Amino acid sequence: MPELRKERLDRGVKVRSDSIYALSSMKEILYLLGPGLVLILLLLVLPLVVSPYWQRVMAITGVYALLSISFGFLANYVGLVSLGGAFYVGVGGYLSGLLNAAGVPLILSIPIATLLGAVICTLLLLPCLPLRGVYFAIISFIYPLFAGRLIAATGYFGGTDGIPGLDRFPSIWVALYMAIFILLIVLYGLSRMVNYEDVGLVFRGVKDNELAIKASALNLTWYKVQAVFISSAMGTFAGAYLAHLYGWVGMSLFAIDFSILPVAATVVGGSGTLYGPLLGALILVPASESMRAFGTLRIVFYAVLLVFFVVFWTEGILDFLKRKYEQFEHWVRI
Amino acid sequence: MDLIIYGIVNSITLILMSIGFALAYGVSRVPNFAHGALFILAGYLTWVFRYRVDLPYWLSIILALIIVGLVGIALYQFILIRVRGMPISEIIASFGVGLAILEFLRWSGLRGTAHMLPPFISGTVRIFDVPLDYQRIIVIFGGIGILLFLWAFTTFTKTGLSLKAIAQNERAGLVLGIDADRAATVAVSLGAVFAGVAAVILLPLGNIVVEMGYEVLVFAIAVSVCGGLGSWKGAVLASFLIGFAQTITVSFVAPHYHFVMALFIIIIVLIFKPSGLFGRQKELEERV
Amino acid sequence: MGISILLLLPLIFMWGCGGQETVGGPDGEPIIIGVPVPEAFSYGWVGERGIRLAAEEINAAGGVNVDGVMRPLKLEVIDTRDLEAGVPVSEALLAVERLILEAGADFIVGGPARTEALLPTLDLVNEHELIHISSTGSFSPRSNQMVEEDYEKYKFHFKTTCWTFTMLGDFYGVIDFLNEEHGFDKISIMVQDVAHARQAGEIVAGRMAEAGWDVMDPIVYPTGTLDYSDGLLRARRFGAQVLFVWMDMPESVIMMRQYRDMEIPAVPIGFINAAEHPDFWEATEGKGEYTLNHLVNAGNAPVEVTPLTMPFVEAYKERFGVEVEGYGASSSYQAIYTLVDAIERAGTIETYAVLEALRATDMEGVYGRVRFDPDTHLVIHDLDPAQGAVPQIIQWLDGKRETVFPPSIATAELQLPPWME
Repeated sequence: MPELRKERLDRGVKVRSDSIYALSSMKEILYLLGPGLVLILLLLVLPLVVSPYWQRVMAITGVYALLSISFGFLANYVGLVSLGGAFYVGVGGYLSGLLNAAGVPLILSIPIATLLGAVICTLLLLPCLPLRGVYFAIISFIYPLFAGRLIAATGYFGGTDGIPGLDRFPSIWVALYMAIFILLIVLYGLSRMVNYEDVGLVFRGVKDNELAIKASALNLTWYKVQAVFISSAMGTFAGAYLAHLYGWVGMSLFAIDFSILPVAATVVGGSGTLYGPLLGALILVPASESMRAFGTLRIVFYAVLLVFFVVFWTEGILDFLKRKYEQFEHWVRI
Repeated sequence: MDLIIYGIVNSITLILMSIGFALAYGVSRVPNFAHGALFILAGYLTWVFRYRVDLPYWLSIILALIIVGLVGIALYQFILIRVRGMPISEIIASFGVGLAILEFLRWSGLRGTAHMLPPFISGTVRIFDVPLDYQRIIVIFGGIGILLFLWAFTTFTKTGLSLKAIAQNERAGLVLGIDADRAATVAVSLGAVFAGVAAVILLPLGNIVVEMGYEVLVFAIAVSVCGGLGSWKGAVLASFLIGFAQTITVSFVAPHYHFVMALFIIIIVLIFKPSGLFGRQKELEERV
Repeated sequence: MGISILLLLPLIFMWGCGGQETVGGPDGEPIIIGVPVPEAFSYGWVGERGIRLAAEEINAAGGVNVDGVMRPLKLEVIDTRDLEAGVPVSEALLAVERLILEAGADFIVGGPARTEALLPTLDLVNEHELIHISSTGSFSPRSNQMVEEDYEKYKFHFKTTCWTFTMLGDFYGVIDFLNEEHGFDKISIMVQDVAHARQAGEIVAGRMAEAGWDVMDPIVYPTGTLDYSDGLLRARRFGAQVLFVWMDMPESVIMMRQYRDMEIPAVPIGFINAAEHPDFWEATEGKGEYTLNHLVNAGNAPVEVTPLTMPFVEAYKERFGVEVEGYGASSSYQAIYTLVDAIERAGTIETYAVLEALRATDMEGVYGRVRFDPDTHLVIHDLDPAQGAVPQIIQWLDGKRETVFPPSIATAELQLPPWME
């Protein structure tokens, strides 16, 4: 029996569209733009075709997707593994909720909470910025736990009851398309920034070689602050958005699910880009939701699925799809 | 006086909860996030053997510990070994396994307050006029026993020495013919057994509930991080620091600040001494 | 390898999407009742059992007579996970929305149990104009206060359980009795770190101080505390004769065991979630004896309140194999019967008609007379079963839950622990 092995080759269209010749024909341009267009179209059209309940699921998915992108951006491009997603959500949610309860309409309270919340989160994380790797991860993981317990212990901001009866979005369409547009803007803005702007280059330097940044007379902490601000603004927006989706804020905005799911989404979707975490969130949240009929057993299936992805499909979905898109495989005789 | 005695009990409780986690991380750099689940699994298995199969208490404990040890081996051999060297994947994989175990137990009937282990000896003594039940005395001696065992194991046995070697310098260990994967398997499974021992000693004080699995995990991480990841001495010191801080908070401030206090200490320690009280990592590695 | 997962996913999706159940019975178009409960917690599963039992009985008896058509009840039970610590409440709210939008629930009965999840649920049922009867979990007064403050917005919410205020009145009844009978005048208060419990602790402290008692500063324990020795020792030093406890976490069992091991010379009384359940005796190996516990609503342990109570208790035991388990059971069972009564009187399942019918409810239930307060939509409470819903305070004596309060349904005399003599 002859021995075979699989050989991968780039598709012709991929090779052609790698360079300036991409502009030479519609086909190549489409090949390059295709995945992005499909994503945008899918996000815009999907709300129109799914049932009202799945529209709600999509809105929640949007919250987790934003958190996942925020995690992915900080981890992949700046080298800070932040498990503080729940902290951002909590700060953003509570700020917007408190403002709204004081009479500020949600059209103002959400942006104020997003920016002010991001400033607060960044300031609070400032002392930990010199830390790296697992140390930063653990300390950012502890922040939301701390905040939640503090609210329970002091009874401020409604204590364990939370604050109900806040303004809600006028309709699910507003809520849904708001999430989708913010998501698209964030994706476009971030990928431009990290791929084409100077600051993206510096961020990568922060991740890969801090000494090089220092040697270039750039202020390391200042760049980390910028990155944390951007990432936490996404989280605080997600929190404010969630608060007004259901018209409530409460301690559970600091729930560790908000910190853990983005990590899981990144592992499932594939790390290294902004799209991997997004894809992961788009798969995990609906998957968990559709297994609800199993009652408490659902979490077991979910966990098993997660382990399965992590252990046996390490490359992540995005890389898998990318490989299929760009290359073809065939068997060759050794 | 009761401050000191219950402070010691609290601190040793923390040691018991975290020593297995610290061991697995210290030797094999495996953050075993299934630690809390193994803790509850051991307690629940003991309960099942004791009350559903009607075995004697001591036999139930031994069987439960053996099973948990085997689960530890399986966890490393079938799952963690495939994602070695990818910290995030290791964390998510082990956390996923823990989540699956805990939620499966919950689904299969571990809910409510009915699941309790009896204390080894019931009764109370007074020490310096502070009443202390025998089970809490067993906690103290159990904690000290585990530490002594760990010390003897890593000082006098060949396996223990090889674990230590791998922890100190993996390459040198490999050169000397120590199988790193075997050492890691031993460490993870020993860590699981320690979680089990902690469970059978601590759970008679309370009842077996799934939530405690998550709590044990958080405390184990907290203590290990605070003490310096992978340093047993650090973990012990951190346990005493957090344990006493909590007891003092409970007595002088209010009990509901006790968890807040623990988290506060961790944040402070990490900010000022990121590699922990006894961290063996060089400062430069995590701080530039 | 990879492909197979992709093929597997849709399968899992499809598998997960089924999951309706009919309880069986008559053939008119079913009335769908959405039941959002945290299934992993006793409030959840006990409430679910109460609802299931009532629905099965009604269907077996022919169903609900809606303007001459016999329609069966159909339950849609969904797990909300709202009592789990690491899970955001939005998960529970999404579950409620699923019941409303996907399962087409006509009514929502049961949870969510956690107050933080219950309050925004009021906004959800308001948006969809559906009747919501909260029959288990939260007894924070907040939701009923919301009904009172903004009736137009929150009128769809009803509650068949109880709120803290009435429960406190019942405790005063017992504590005052201890004062008259035994001359006790020192009390120590220990509560869990949740809003309703802390509130209760403060109110009790104030009330007892006013009544001339020596009150120790309330001690607040965080959820999940494993060691209560400190507070118990302080209570002993203080010389407390009454130990007021308010905790709905399973770890409260530890407290009762430590109490017995230390032989604290005080009567423990309060709302202790763990001491409700029939297995408390086994769980504490008899160490829980003499504990006094508020079961919120009568009928959560065997007792004779109305002619309906014991049949319910027996049916529960026969259906689920355990003695009626505690808070959530009788109020959830009653919620279904009250709802069905209102539907039959309204002759339709249209929300506003049923709302008015519910407000006009006046029937005999398992825990006494059932009427709703027109301002708060909380079931009216009274110590007399002929006047309102009756509470039940039990004392664990010789492995049994004996009712000691209110006097109208008492089955045994309150006993002091022997080490207090």
